[in-house]
Amino acid sequence: MTVVSLASALTRDELEARLYEAEETLRAIREGEIDAVVIKGGATEQVFTLEGDGHSYRTFMEAMDIGAAAFDAEGQLLYANQALCTLLDRPAGMLSGQALLGMLDAVNQTTFRRLLTQALQERQSAEIHVRVGDNESSFLLTGAPIDFGVVSGVAVTFTDISEREQIAAAKESERLARSVLASANEAVIVCDRAGRVTHINAAAERICAEAPIGKRFEEAIELTFADASELMSGGDIVAMAAGGTPVQGLEAAVKTSAVDVTDVMLSAAPLVVSGERTQGCVVTLINLSQRKAAERRQALLMGELDHRVKNTLAMVLAISARTASHERTIEDFQKSFSGRIQALAATHTLLSNASWENLEIKDVLSVELAPYATLSSGRITLEGLDISVDSKTAVSLGLVFHELTTNAVKYGALSTRAGKLSVRRIGLLDDGALQIEWEERDGPLVTPPTVSGFGQTLISRSLGSGPNGGTKLEYRPTGVVCQILIPKYGHFHS
Amino acid sequence: MAASSNEPVKLVLYVAGETPKSLAAIRNLEKICSEHLAGKYRVEVIDLKKQPQLAREHGIVAIPTLVKELPVPIRKIIGDLSDTQKVLVHLSVEE
Repeated sequence: MTVVSLASALTRDELEARLYEAEETLRAIREGEIDAVVIKGGATEQVFTLEGDGHSYRTFMEAMDIGAAAFDAEGQLLYANQALCTLLDRPAGMLSGQALLGMLDAVNQTTFRRLLTQALQERQSAEIHVRVGDNESSFLLTGAPIDFGVVSGVAVTFTDISEREQIAAAKESERLARSVLASANEAVIVCDRAGRVTHINAAAERICAEAPIGKRFEEAIELTFADASELMSGGDIVAMAAGGTPVQGLEAAVKTSAVDVTDVMLSAAPLVVSGERTQGCVVTLINLSQRKAAERRQALLMGELDHRVKNTLAMVLAISARTASHERTIEDFQKSFSGRIQALAATHTLLSNASWENLEIKDVLSVELAPYATLSSGRITLEGLDISVDSKTAVSLGLVFHELTTNAVKYGALSTRAGKLSVRRIGLLDDGALQIEWEERDGPLVTPPTVSGFGQTLISRSLGSGPNGGTKLEYRPTGVVCQILIPKYGHFHS
Repeated sequence: MAASSNEPVKLVLYVAGETPKSLAAIRNLEKICSEHLAGKYRVEVIDLKKQPQLAREHGIVAIPTLVKELPVPIRKIIGDLSDTQKVLVHLSVEE
């Protein structure tokens, strides 16, 4: 009867509407579109959710230390626990729906969506990177299917692996830095803010004192700076660079007992590892030893050349004046003068070919005798003349040999087919002077000249300027004999 | 019957806290409103978990349920509102 009275109290439209509503409710329940119902218990209503076995998932997730979230089958966020909100630095309200995925870039979003889809079926893991505040964070995500009663979805845990990745990256970076340091050709020394050596490569180890690590820079390598006298030390430069001021291209001499490095070019730059603050400095040392040695050698040669040119010009003037005073005609003068200048030039050529060092007596003599040696094959003997002399002695010997040769060709042993010439080393005297003898034999009968020509003067005077040197010329009837003494400092004979 | 252009649609959505279907219904309703009822609607969301007694006014049994209060007649749409066309038919604003 109740039904009849109720039915009679309602219009047909209202009845139809109620019927439709009842059918819709059943449909919605059947199709899983609702997950809560209202039950009227006496005077009050109560709401029951149909989350089934997953009913307590929120409580469970909230108790977890690691970040956790629940997503429905469409990938919408249903719930994020407090740990995840902390990890992502967002309140739960700002992660709902698609907002969490919105924090990711396109690549990581794709990774995340794939995980959500695949985890509906089975457990899946993936790694994503997300910018949280100023930092790039990395998370290992593990997704697994979860049943929310009438619907299913995915529960995802977020494990922060940023630190692990940072440590791995730091190790890799350290490894890279070490290999860069080790591979550098230049010597590299790294100092901390206190100026103590923390890293050093093999090239630098060769310059530094033993076990430089931990020593102060100026103890590890002792440097002097030519341009700054005693006012500046290696320690000052390191302190300056560690303080943020780079230093570039200073030349310094190395005092540390290094085998082959004497000069370096030093640069020091602040070492900034992260942030603004310098952690120390990086010092690079380029080996300038060879360049410096070359520079010194060049300077020496320039000085020597200058000296020689002046000496040579003075000598040419003297030869010219003395030759003029002894020769009667212009033709005679020209011949003698040219011969003497050519002798000088020949010795100079020899000297310059030998870089003005260690010319042997044999070489000087051979140049003078060269025009006659082939003609007089077997008539000239040279003995024990493989003796090095200095450049000044070489020039003097060149002139002496020129005069003696000219004389021998004009009047002596080399003027006839039978004449013989022997030049040989006699030996060392007590005072260290080296004695050489020029002896002509089997030539024309010799008579001493009545007038002393310049040639004779030159022979007598050459090598005679220093102590223990000089020449002694004898006009024996059998041939000219000349004793030549080379002072101790002029030869390198042991 | 088409909705009058100057009469706003007044909607009440009943949810039960943050159950998956409640959240889905909110999301779906937001989408439908912004795409089809721009500027012409007023929505009130009632959480029956917090205020279960409010279920009485519209005789709510299943959650989520959307009630169209205005324009009359009152209509109920039960479920998570995932079928957009059906929702539009019931709101009588189908184009």
